[in-house]
Amino acid sequence: MIEIENLCKVYHGGLGADTVALDGVSLKVEDGEFVAIMGPSGSGKSTLMNILGCLDTPTSGTYRLDGEDVSQLDDDELADIRNLRIGFVFQSFNLLPRATVMRNVLVPLLYSGFKKSERYDRAAASLEAAGLPEAFWEHRSNELSGGQMQRVAIARALVTDPGLILADEPTGNLDTKTGEHILSTFQRLNDGGRTIVLITHEPDIGEHAKRIVHVQDGLILSDEVNAVQRRAGGESDAA
Amino acid sequence: MRLDDVAEETVFSISSNKVRSALTILGIVVGIASVIVMVAIGQGAQASITNSIASAGSNLVQVFPGFGAGGGAVRGARGAALTLTIADAEAIATQVQGISAVSQERTTRQQVIAGANNTNTSITGVLPAYATVHNVQVADGNFIQAQDVTQVSRVAVLGPTTRDDLFGVGASAVGKTIRINGIGFQVIGVTVAKGGTGFNNQDDVVYAPLTTVQTLLIGDTHLSNIAVSASSAAEVTPVQQSITDLLLTRHKISNAANADFTVLSSADIAATASTVTGTFTIVLASIAGISLLVGGIGIMNMMLTAVTERTREIGLRKAVGARRADISMQFLAESVALTFLGGLVGVLLGIGIAAGLQAFAGITTQVSIGSVLLAAGVSIGIGVVFGYYPALRASGMNPVEALRYQ
Repeated sequence: MIEIENLCKVYHGGLGADTVALDGVSLKVEDGEFVAIMGPSGSGKSTLMNILGCLDTPTSGTYRLDGEDVSQLDDDELADIRNLRIGFVFQSFNLLPRATVMRNVLVPLLYSGFKKSERYDRAAASLEAAGLPEAFWEHRSNELSGGQMQRVAIARALVTDPGLILADEPTGNLDTKTGEHILSTFQRLNDGGRTIVLITHEPDIGEHAKRIVHVQDGLILSDEVNAVQRRAGGESDAA
Repeated sequence: MRLDDVAEETVFSISSNKVRSALTILGIVVGIASVIVMVAIGQGAQASITNSIASAGSNLVQVFPGFGAGGGAVRGARGAALTLTIADAEAIATQVQGISAVSQERTTRQQVIAGANNTNTSITGVLPAYATVHNVQVADGNFIQAQDVTQVSRVAVLGPTTRDDLFGVGASAVGKTIRINGIGFQVIGVTVAKGGTGFNNQDDVVYAPLTTVQTLLIGDTHLSNIAVSASSAAEVTPVQQSITDLLLTRHKISNAANADFTVLSSADIAATASTVTGTFTIVLASIAGISLLVGGIGIMNMMLTAVTERTREIGLRKAVGARRADISMQFLAESVALTFLGGLVGVLLGIGIAAGLQAFAGITTQVSIGSVLLAAGVSIGIGVVFGYYPALRASGMNPVEALRYQ
């Protein structure tokens, strides 16, 4: 469960020109929700996503993740939280290009303390959950298509079995059809009980979530339930 | 992060960029190889000098003339004065305890002629004791005998190099005649080779009876040095002291600082030679060390490039849970693995070059375990020192900025 209260983030630029990226945001996301955070570029949604992902710390305000205040933890404590409790999916995939699919998915487990014997099974299970057929697992990741790469990234996000998946424009580098497939994968994961937070500026993409939060100028503009969640079909067509 | 994981990531990272890794370690390979070769050459020189000193006779104590006690404050060259006499040598033989043989010697340098060949070499006037004191063995014929000395015989024993120069390599010389200063000498023997090269060649010599050299070639009865064989290694120092005391008394010198002779043991000579070759080794090794430093800077450059190039990878690793120490460990392990690999190849290359120099260029080399261990240690050290800064830079990156890096 995510609880943020009155969160502010100020970037100190040169010559006293401070930029207020977040100006007192409060938000609560229950376990099992599928929330889309939407807004134009410069609205503060990326800053919000970085703080939610424990990649960055707020200037003021509190952030409780599963009841624990994580807003003032140090670098290494944040790293442990990211490792076990948050899975990231990025727009540009961020795979290690020369490494195989399997090796990419195993990366978070290097830092997790899981037994070696257990790691391969976990990675295989999450690749299956992400919908990438076994035939691709020993391919180098730079030999895959965009959709396949994003599935590897989803598998990597799932491998430590985190409760929360943060997806930052996950379809931004994909064509519409492939994007639909990826979104339905998220929907399936959400159906399985995982909390998904999707950051996007495209209304079409946001409609796949169950709840839509609009952010603008560092403030929450609107926060409403998406009554008609758009479901994409054809996910089995693993593109 | 577990150590076996670090090792695996390191192997993966180095092997996925083979050409660049190979070029990077080349600097370390060359540096380490040159250190090994230079030290091997230095130590080889040391060993060959030590050997030739040892082959000049063990437990040897030599007395050389000192400064000429000329009028006033003007001193002659050390060793040029004629201060040692046969009487001094006989006094040493009878009065000093703990000695097994005394060799009286008079050396001069003359042109030696045999038929159409000639050479300029050292003529040493000796007693039969010379052979015992200096470990001289005769390969063919006989050494100078006591009766040759008493009869002032015109006979000579040649060193193998002189024999080669005068009669041809390996030719038989015994029974033939050589001319020194217009006087004919009959060759009665050729010695076994002792080794040494250039100015230090102990085989480029002609031995003749002491009396013959003194009367026919020089014209006085002084000695150019007295060589004494102590009866055991433990006796060397007491013998040195007794000879000094005896000669000071005989020469009526009260202050040892004004002695007109010098008493040296082979240990003293070896120590001096070691100091020289030691300095030589240090100079060579430091030159090689500079190339090692350059190699280290190459490693740092490569690691810094790698850190910049892999900024997004670092960001990703941090995002999925790598702690600072995990990142710095990974980069440090990579640079240490590179330098260690370079060191390993460098050691093998160095040993190969040293062996090649010995086999094909005739340079005595001696690869010591010490220099190999030092090279291995230094190469790992370079990895740590020059990998530390890039690793620190990588681990200190902000994950948000690193992920956004283009």
